[in-house]
Amino acid sequence: MDRHSRCAGVARRAVPFALATLAALASAARVAAHAGGVRSATRETVTVPTWLFLATGGAVVGASFLLASAVTDRTYVRRIDGWGRALPDAGRVARFLARAVGIAALAITIVAGLFGPTSATDSAAVLIVWVGWWAVFVLSAYLLGNAWPAVDPFRAIAGAFPSLDRPYPERLGSWPAVAGLLTLVYLEVVTPMADDPRLLTALVLGYLGVSVAGSVAFGVDDWFGSADPVSKLLAAYGRVAPVTRTDDGLRLRLPGMGLTDAAWVDGRDDVGFVVAIVFVTTYDGFVGTGLWTDIARPLVEAGVPALVVYLAAMSVGYGLFLALYLASASAARRTADTYLAPGVLARRFAPSLLAIAAGYHIAHNLATALSLSPTLAVVLTSPLSPPATVPALLVPGWVGGVGVAAVLGGHLLAVWVAHSVAYDLFPDRLQAIRSQYGVTVAMVAYTMASLWIVSRPGGAPPFV
Amino acid sequence: MSRVDHSPADARDPADDPYEVPPDATAFTCPRCGRPFARERHRDLHLGQDHPDLDDDERAAYERAREAESDDLRRFRIVSLGMLVLLYFGFLFLYAIAA
Repeated sequence: MDRHSRCAGVARRAVPFALATLAALASAARVAAHAGGVRSATRETVTVPTWLFLATGGAVVGASFLLASAVTDRTYVRRIDGWGRALPDAGRVARFLARAVGIAALAITIVAGLFGPTSATDSAAVLIVWVGWWAVFVLSAYLLGNAWPAVDPFRAIAGAFPSLDRPYPERLGSWPAVAGLLTLVYLEVVTPMADDPRLLTALVLGYLGVSVAGSVAFGVDDWFGSADPVSKLLAAYGRVAPVTRTDDGLRLRLPGMGLTDAAWVDGRDDVGFVVAIVFVTTYDGFVGTGLWTDIARPLVEAGVPALVVYLAAMSVGYGLFLALYLASASAARRTADTYLAPGVLARRFAPSLLAIAAGYHIAHNLATALSLSPTLAVVLTSPLSPPATVPALLVPGWVGGVGVAAVLGGHLLAVWVAHSVAYDLFPDRLQAIRSQYGVTVAMVAYTMASLWIVSRPGGAPPFV
Repeated sequence: MSRVDHSPADARDPADDPYEVPPDATAFTCPRCGRPFARERHRDLHLGQDHPDLDDDERAAYERAREAESDDLRRFRIVSLGMLVLLYFGFLFLYAIAA
């Protein structure tokens, strides 16, 4: 299964829908699209130049900021944010079942990965990790709620070992998780991990080893609460979901409103993790574009190992993303005329980016989740010797449109979350509006960059 | 919404002070919780929103600040409406020409 070409295919199919959605949102575009349709006298999609496509995307985000600023009723903003119902906690049976499913999935992954078929579409290991977990489970984490702490087989296994309970170094914070996340995505890009069940299983076993070592050293709660990249990633995505865990137990809220809480991003390291989540999506797409081939070719031809070039691009790119985000957040100190520390502003506005990240995750993975779920189900019936022909759902073209709608929806949610946070932070409503200038510019730039990547004909990363 | 940053109890906790006032800047501090603001209007609005027990002067200052805030908001709304119209027609023409 070539994830890259699949993404690229979805992206290419999605572009006309992107245009349609953007056009529908910006009614200016809608009128012009009709005019274009009449001129060419066909019912084909209007082709617009890339720059106009990007500008429209940016303008939609900018316009939604202006529209959100029109909502100036403090009580209303707070009511939207605070709406919710308490939910009953999951019972012991549900917890036990979740744990059993997690451990069974890990066991099947390892056994099928080591001894099962070696082709990607027949391998239960590849399908469980990329379809069952990365597409479907992560999707559920931000659309429903994060169940990973209950399912997590790594945590269950690591918890069974005795721990030395060394104190977790406070100053490391979430940085090990940042490094872990970047490493996982780096390995996913430079190795054929999506296609090779043996390699994938080796990585899963390595990950299990690191998890066990970490929790033996520092205790299972400290390790999985601070340093484990997968737990942190799913916890962050879970903040977008309508079901969130609060101090008083599970709570049903409006989607994305878990992002306005102040407490859970409590340091620069957590800001770094949120930016890493946003960055890795972009990196994964960018290395498939022609621009990246053009940048990397002279370096690779000059004898620099491709792995080093990829690593350098990742470090430089991440540093750039983090610096730009911190700059845009601390711009709020000037535009809003406040004495709030730059770090506080960066922490409070960072979670809004997760809504955007969730939108891109849908766009990249919805088609995979739909088309390969039946494959996964059939292969699971007999992981070691799957049937000769496995079914795959033929995904209709409009699913690409759902993906683009999700990208836009994520941006709109992010704009609202930033609005809501600003109203919580500042006593003056005009100050609250001005505080969002920097973050809005960052969001517009990010939208345009991402739409550019989506509109390129993508392929597998070159030279590796 | 968690209002951790706003509760007066920890607002001036020196270990975790969310504020950074530049040394040469004038700060309008809240007489109840000590939080610094860059403008008098911000402080007056904060008093009215976060402290229910205002005296008459503070209440009057709050009302004045609210009026000034509303005026500014009205101005911002007009400007943002103008920008939306500009975006709308800007893109209308761009699409008419380029697409």
